[in-house]
Amino acid sequence: MQLLDVRNLTIELRTSETVIRAVDRVSFSLKEGEVHALVGESGSGKSLIAKAIIGVLNERWDITADRIHWRGVDLMRLTPDQRRKIVSQDIAMIYQDPSRCLDPTAKIFDQIAETLPEVATKGFFLKRNRERKDRVKALIHKVGIKNHEAVLSSYPHELSEGVCQKVMIAMAIARTPKLLIADEPTTALESTTRAQVFRLLKSLNQLKNMSILMISHELEEIAHWSHGIHVLYCGQMVEAGPTEQIFKQPRHPYTQALLKSLPDYEQGLAHKEPFYALKGTIPTLQHLPIGCRLGPRCPQAQKACVITPPLTKHHGHSYACHFPLIKDMK
Amino acid sequence: MQPLLKVQALSKTFNVRAGLFSRKKFEVLKNISFCVGKGESIAIIGETGSGKSTLAKLLSGADSADSGQILLENNIIEDKGVRDNQCRHIRMIFQDSGASLNPGLTIGEMLDDCLQYNTGFDNTEREEKIAATLSKVGLLVDHRHYYPHMFSVGQLQRVAFARALILDPKVIVLDEALSSLDPSIRAQIVNLLLKLQRDTGLTYVMITHHLSLVRHISDHVVVLDKGEVVEYGPTEEVFQNPQSKVTQRLLSC
Repeated sequence: MQLLDVRNLTIELRTSETVIRAVDRVSFSLKEGEVHALVGESGSGKSLIAKAIIGVLNERWDITADRIHWRGVDLMRLTPDQRRKIVSQDIAMIYQDPSRCLDPTAKIFDQIAETLPEVATKGFFLKRNRERKDRVKALIHKVGIKNHEAVLSSYPHELSEGVCQKVMIAMAIARTPKLLIADEPTTALESTTRAQVFRLLKSLNQLKNMSILMISHELEEIAHWSHGIHVLYCGQMVEAGPTEQIFKQPRHPYTQALLKSLPDYEQGLAHKEPFYALKGTIPTLQHLPIGCRLGPRCPQAQKACVITPPLTKHHGHSYACHFPLIKDMK
Repeated sequence: MQPLLKVQALSKTFNVRAGLFSRKKFEVLKNISFCVGKGESIAIIGETGSGKSTLAKLLSGADSADSGQILLENNIIEDKGVRDNQCRHIRMIFQDSGASLNPGLTIGEMLDDCLQYNTGFDNTEREEKIAATLSKVGLLVDHRHYYPHMFSVGQLQRVAFARALILDPKVIVLDEALSSLDPSIRAQIVNLLLKLQRDTGLTYVMITHHLSLVRHISDHVVVLDKGEVVEYGPTEEVFQNPQSKVTQRLLSC
């Protein structure tokens, strides 16, 4: 069953002079129990998309979409109250900067206890208190924090970034959401903790059938266990499809550049040999090129690239390029 | 080959708060020794809290060690916490280049300060040096009139690199300087690092947790765990055949 179905999501920022289109008609859908990844560089609008789905963007941003369906209900047509009810019940998000997203004035215990679902706490208040404590402890053990007493009684600034991240994850999974949006959950972590976090997310996905929308700028992190990948560049969806297909046969020059900048996947690259790199830098939002936004940096760019290429579909693998890379089209 | 940078039995302890009034000693680094040759790269890997960043600070002179020596070309530049004034030979690049540049100075002024405090160059010599350094890292000479906020992330990293390079150092310490970059920008910066190493024989001390990059760039690896060197050797050997448990765990994930 289709869990989340987003069609032509556009996010615009109104400034005094012009309207900046930060996310340009992005569509994707997510089935129950699937892990999908949004990959793109900073400023490509990954976090904006996530925030637009759960509806926490402030008034300055204009969000328009043909539909954002959550299990058949269009979130765009609901009143803010109704929408909030659905989102708080079923969707959870792990934010990007854990030590900054936690409340600096409250202890970790209170912050986690606040996210616990109310329904389960019954009985007299002493009993309720004990139950709450037990559940917080269980949650924090689940995410792999062993010294719970020290962590629960400290403030966010006293903890390392990795522990803060785990606390965020504990808060996100407290309500056993149906969809977990993880916005770069492992950028601040070193490799052993990162593997731990991924193991945890993977087990949640398999045991609880929780869908995960991973947002990341590292392809290699998510390559092994995501079902589908969506590659974004400057707010445009450039390529989307099943993970293996994207890795085996990238069609868009940008995806190819991403793959080639990984030493693991570029076979036969000698020690200390330069990588394949796209020229130039990511354009700022004020100066976006027209048409295909990769245009000025693309090695294959031609005259036609000033017109935005439509999304072409080919066996569930879609790409937006006038001149796709063809290796063996059958 | 004569090693360029040699670190001998470096130790560092911090005083940490244990109770309300009591303090206790906490050993961050215990007896660290390694050496790097000219034009080589060494990578320091390990978990958080293993003392990687402290080691970087000690090397670049931002902090002083309790015991042990740092030798650069057989000259002792740090001995038991006393530092020789040689900061121009070992320079450091920080993780977040945007935050480590002064927003109130233009790039030219910032680079000029480095030269004024450390060299005896006159005005024209400084101008020439700044222009040469900027073009070395792939920026334009006109960029010297720009303020840091006018640059993109990749360019800022280049500016940080220019600031490190302007004093013609022998060693550059990169403290997680590559991990916060986007993949396509990172590839550019890595290429720049490799090119400069090839052309000028720079030595890099890289501190990172990006293992595939370590494998690609560095010649030797030091694995730190709780302040101790648990493994030290050529990169390929360590990656192919890790001896200690810590390294095996680091590499397996």
